Amino acid sequence: MSQQANIGDLLPMLDSPVLAALEDIMAAFRDNLASDRGPMLVNSLVDYYLETSSQQALHILTTLQEPHDKHLLDKINEYMSKPATRLATLSLLGHVIRRQPSWKHKLSQAPVLLSLLKCLKTDTDVVVLTTGVLVLITLLPMIPQSGKQYLHDFFGIFGRLSSWYLKNPGHVAEIYLVHLHASVYALFHRLYGMYPCNFVSFLRSHYSMKENLETFEEVVKPMMGHVRIHPELVTGSKDHELDPRRWKRLETHDVVIECAKISLDPAEASYEDGYCSTSLQACAHLLHRPADPDAIPYVIPHNSLGASTSTPYSASRLALSQIPGQLPQILNFQSSSLSAEPQQAPFWSPSAVCGMTTPPTSPGIVLESSQTSSQPYTKFFSIPDDFVSSSAPSATAAPLKKEEKADSGRPSLSRQQNIINRTLDSQGSKNSVTLSDLPNILGDLEASCEDSGEKDREEDAISNEISEITAADAEPVVPRGGFDSPFYQSSESLSGSRKSHSVASTGPGQLPNAEPLTSFLDQSGLEGTRDTSKQAFTPIDWPCRDAEESPVGPQENWASTDPGIFTPSPCKIPARQRADIRSQQLPGYEHLFEVALPKTAYLFVSRKTEELLRRGKAGPEEDGFVSASPLDVLDKLLERGADAHSRELNKLSLPSRSADWTHFGGSPPSDEIRTLQNQLRLLQNQLLYERFKRQQHAVRNRRLLRKVIRAAALEEHNAAMKDQLRLQEKDVQSLKLSLQKEQAKHCKFQEEYDSMVAQLHSQIRQLQHEREEYYNQSQELKTKLEDCSNVIRDLRSELKKASNKVCHTELLLSQVSQKLSNSESVQQQMEFLNRQLLVLGEVNELYLEQLQNKHADTTKEVEIMQTAFRKELERAKSCLLQQSQQVEASQNRIAELESQLTKKDHLLLEQKKYLEDVKVQARGQLQAVENQYRVQKRITQAFELDILHLYSCLHDDQLQKKQEDDKMETAEMADERLSGANEGAAHSIAKCSEEMLGRNGEANPSGAQGPNSSSSSSSSSKGNSGGSSPEKTLSDRAGQFNSCREASARQEPSSRSRLTVGSFPSSESFLGMKARELFRNKSESQCDEDGVAIHSLCNTLKTELCKGPRLEARGLPGPPEPPPPPRNQESSVESLHIMDYNESHHGHS
Amino acid sequence: MAEDPQRNFRSVYYEKVGFRGVEEKKSLEILLKDDRLDIEKLCTFSQRFPLPSMYRTLVWKVLLGILPPHHESHAFVMKCRKEQYGDVYRALQVIRFITDSTPQVEVFLRIYQLESGKLPQNPSFPWESEDKIFLVIAKAMEEMVEDNIDCYWLVSSFVNQLNNKYKESLPQLPKLLEQILSLEDSRLLAHLKLCSAMGQLPYNLWFRKCFAGCLPESSLQRVWDKVISGSCKILVFVAVEILLTFKMKLMALNSAEKIEQFLENIPQDNTDAIVSKAIELWHKHCGTPAHSV
Repeated sequence: MSQQANIGDLLPMLDSPVLAALEDIMAAFRDNLASDRGPMLVNSLVDYYLETSSQQALHILTTLQEPHDKHLLDKINEYMSKPATRLATLSLLGHVIRRQPSWKHKLSQAPVLLSLLKCLKTDTDVVVLTTGVLVLITLLPMIPQSGKQYLHDFFGIFGRLSSWYLKNPGHVAEIYLVHLHASVYALFHRLYGMYPCNFVSFLRSHYSMKENLETFEEVVKPMMGHVRIHPELVTGSKDHELDPRRWKRLETHDVVIECAKISLDPAEASYEDGYCSTSLQACAHLLHRPADPDAIPYVIPHNSLGASTSTPYSASRLALSQIPGQLPQILNFQSSSLSAEPQQAPFWSPSAVCGMTTPPTSPGIVLESSQTSSQPYTKFFSIPDDFVSSSAPSATAAPLKKEEKADSGRPSLSRQQNIINRTLDSQGSKNSVTLSDLPNILGDLEASCEDSGEKDREEDAISNEISEITAADAEPVVPRGGFDSPFYQSSESLSGSRKSHSVASTGPGQLPNAEPLTSFLDQSGLEGTRDTSKQAFTPIDWPCRDAEESPVGPQENWASTDPGIFTPSPCKIPARQRADIRSQQLPGYEHLFEVALPKTAYLFVSRKTEELLRRGKAGPEEDGFVSASPLDVLDKLLERGADAHSRELNKLSLPSRSADWTHFGGSPPSDEIRTLQNQLRLLQNQLLYERFKRQQHAVRNRRLLRKVIRAAALEEHNAAMKDQLRLQEKDVQSLKLSLQKEQAKHCKFQEEYDSMVAQLHSQIRQLQHEREEYYNQSQELKTKLEDCSNVIRDLRSELKKASNKVCHTELLLSQVSQKLSNSESVQQQMEFLNRQLLVLGEVNELYLEQLQNKHADTTKEVEIMQTAFRKELERAKSCLLQQSQQVEASQNRIAELESQLTKKDHLLLEQKKYLEDVKVQARGQLQAVENQYRVQKRITQAFELDILHLYSCLHDDQLQKKQEDDKMETAEMADERLSGANEGAAHSIAKCSEEMLGRNGEANPSGAQGPNSSSSSSSSSKGNSGGSSPEKTLSDRAGQFNSCREASARQEPSSRSRLTVGSFPSSESFLGMKARELFRNKSESQCDEDGVAIHSLCNTLKTELCKGPRLEARGLPGPPEPPPPPRNQESSVESLHIMDYNESHHGHS
Repeated sequence: MAEDPQRNFRSVYYEKVGFRGVEEKKSLEILLKDDRLDIEKLCTFSQRFPLPSMYRTLVWKVLLGILPPHHESHAFVMKCRKEQYGDVYRALQVIRFITDSTPQVEVFLRIYQLESGKLPQNPSFPWESEDKIFLVIAKAMEEMVEDNIDCYWLVSSFVNQLNNKYKESLPQLPKLLEQILSLEDSRLLAHLKLCSAMGQLPYNLWFRKCFAGCLPESSLQRVWDKVISGSCKILVFVAVEILLTFKMKLMALNSAEKIEQFLENIPQDNTDAIVSKAIELWHKHCGTPAHSV
């Protein structure tokens, strides 16, 4: 805080007159600002400035860096709201903004903008309003995209202020209104330039209202007279022009220039583009002939310039571009594009597209420089042109070539050249001291006219090209190098190059002349020296032209163009003023143009007179400006004010009579002072605004110049490259030639080589052929050799064989010799033996003789015996044969018999089977029959039982009646019944019964004895019955019968007793039951033997009867007896069977 | 049997696949065509398969020995049988045991009695138990066979077989029944034992009468097929099956008297199924009878 306090204390020292202290304090403040971020110092600085309006404080405030901007703006905003400090604050804000701080983009969001707008909307003080509007105008290009949200505020402000001029609500001084109007005019330009669509629509809506109509007629309409139709109105839209992207690529100065482009006001407009020239022209005419209507002046100069489509300005520009030796490539190109531009692209900017731009000259300066400087060049320019057309110009050839590319630009350009030539020539002739040269020049001109005007541009170009090529071939590039090297130097440092040029070309003598010229041109505020300067040029030029034509051109050019480029920096006076001042001088040399042409001479004279007339009444005609720009009005005002002030006679300002009258008429002097102060302030503001604009232009100028230089450098580089290219082409051609030679050589060599090769080939072929022959020969020889070797081998083998044979034969020979010796010995032996044989043969003969004599008779006996034996042998053989036959027969017989035997066996078996079958069959039948028989027996038994029962019944009845009488009768009856019953039964049974009956009688005694002795127990029952004789006999009979029927009388007593039981009248009695049981048992046991009993019945009965007493005597061995007979019988039956069948039979049964 | 050319060779497999009795009739006809009838084969067949009703009488007669194995003697034997029957019948008429109005069954009984020598002295003698059995069997047989003579012979032969051939094995059957029942359903056996009904089961009806009067004739025929062909064990299995079939009811009954009463009068609606099951059970326990049985 102490430091703060110190700084605060330091504030009053800011304005100290001591420079060192001032610097210290400034450094202290800067340090403090750098270190401290608080608002304190800024606030105190602002306060201080508002109090004292110290320049140092202002300087510090305008150079404030980023962190302090907020405090500053806040502070400004704060003071802005107070009416007392508003004006000072606004001016401070203006200062700050004009410095274009790095934080300028923040302004759009800052509240200070809002308060500024509010102020502009509400405030009634004209000074404040004017200041505020200027600040706003300055601010607008900085925040183009963010200003859109306040667009309607801007428009509202414009509406308010525009009507101010007419209505004058505060009844302020007229002078103020002029200032205000000027600022409103600037605002109009700015708004129209930046937001054309929105602005036009605003105008449409705002001034369609009746109450505003007057304002429109009076104020806005004249303003609109000073603007072109904005291209955006055609292509753009309301939204598009508010699009941030549109503004993003434009810097502040771009925006300013954009706005200036659409202006037709020479004071406001920019002349970068081609169409600007028209406005310029119009302005020029306006300035020159203020009385003329707007439309007319455009036509006149054109006519006067030989019906050329191009304007004088562009012509001059072209001339200017044509002049320099090194620059034509650049400038021509640019000019061609310039001339082509208006037709092709209305909004097209060369600076934006090609990157090569002419220096954007401020209107006055451009006008001045182009018109003034063109003057001097023309003096020698005709000569370079002549030089171009006549003496094979290497410099213009390239430009011409390039011009072909620009279609529409070319004809106009050629013509322009002619025109320029003409005008320059004429000017030169007029200006020139040497009139004697004129015919030459005119002749040249005509020639050039014929060249470029009559011929087709293609032809021209072609001829130029041809000439150039031929010239290039013919002439070496020596002069070129001369052009190149100085140009590079000049592009690096313009001033240096100028010097070097002067040194190189004209020598030291010319340098002093050139320098004064430039300095003189710089101080162009003095009009009076103008003619002298022109005069001063000519002596310089002419020597140049005389001495060295081509080298001087560029030098001169530089000398003249430099001022045009560099004027802005040295110039302190507002350009507009100068332009204004110059414009008065223009007619002074303008007439030279017209005079140059004989055709236009008359026109020129007439106009001259008009002009003179007009100038005579220039002052009074000021008010007659219908569409005079407010700026012009202001300028006029200032001029007059200056005049008045200089005179110091009265304070009356002439231009605004009515205002002056009202204002200056009855106002007190104090008020006058204040008014003057305010006026001063307004002027200052205006000045500052204009300065800002100038700075913007300067910035742009610098950039464009840089681009120009770069382009020139590139162009030069290009030319150098082209030279190199040409050189290389030449090299290439020479190389081609040598190549062709070499190729020819090569061809020759090739041919030779080919022939050689062919020869060699043929040789080779021949050799090969020979070789083949040799080879064949050698082959043959080889084969022969092989054959020979084979033969040799064969011979060798034969030799071997032969030697072998020899050996063998030798061996054989030795053997043979041995054998020979042997055979010799054998022969000897043989001879010996032969001799012996002979001896023995003799002996043998002797013995044979003896033998024949001895055995003559024994042979017969032997023969007989032999025959006998032979016969015996035959007989034996036949016997043998016979026997063997017999054996065979017997064997056959045996076989037959055996087969018969087997057959018989089979038969036997079959028979047996059959027998078996039959037997079984028979047995079945037999069984059935037996069964039948048994049943018959049963039946008879039953019958008997029944009979017996009946008997018993009968007997009971008889017993009841007469026992004795009935005995006989019953016996008879029984006999009869029995016989009767037996009649139906089998005979055997009948017989049997008869026999039994017969036997009963016989056996009675024995039977009587037996039963008596055997069954004494049963006698008791008999005793019960009474033991009567008939009863006895009956019972005996029954017993007999029973025994007979059962084929064994084994239980005679029991049977008897049973019979007796059966004879009981009631079967329910105990005894009856018993008897029945017994009977049944017996019958059951008997069942088994039934089948057996039949056959041997009679026999058994007989034997039984015979054996009866014995059986009785033996007791009870009876039962075993009966079985044997059946067995026997069975065995007898079985004996019929074959033994094999026994088992099966048994199993079956 | 299998090598007989007239038989369908597939018949062997029919049974394996599960068809029963497809070729039975045919095979039986083949069997019956043999001149000397093979009793053993007939037995086996009859044990394995149910007999076709048209051949049943013939087969039974052959099996029971009423007809000899030879076809030639059939006529003669039958004539004998007929004569015998006629004789006996006449004799019985003579001794006034039977009259024309006597029921056929009684006639059979009388003839049987006479033939077996057991004819009572008086026709008014009350029936003994054997006689009752005979009557019941004869009654059942009378339903099966039309001809009286055949019927008599079959009854008498059947009863003879029961009395002779099965004399030994019949008393063993109750034990066997208990044994099999323990195997099949021990719970039922336990219940029956608990009720002490095992001793009071209608053995007489089952084993002596061979279910005559208990089962309808159509079912009975099949049982008798087996009995006649030599197996009296089938009776046990029929009994077991009856017990098993009416198991639920038997379990509900607690007293031996009630059980006996119920078993003596079993419902006759599904006896065919019982018999079929019984035969299956019999086959299961005793194995499918082979030739040697």
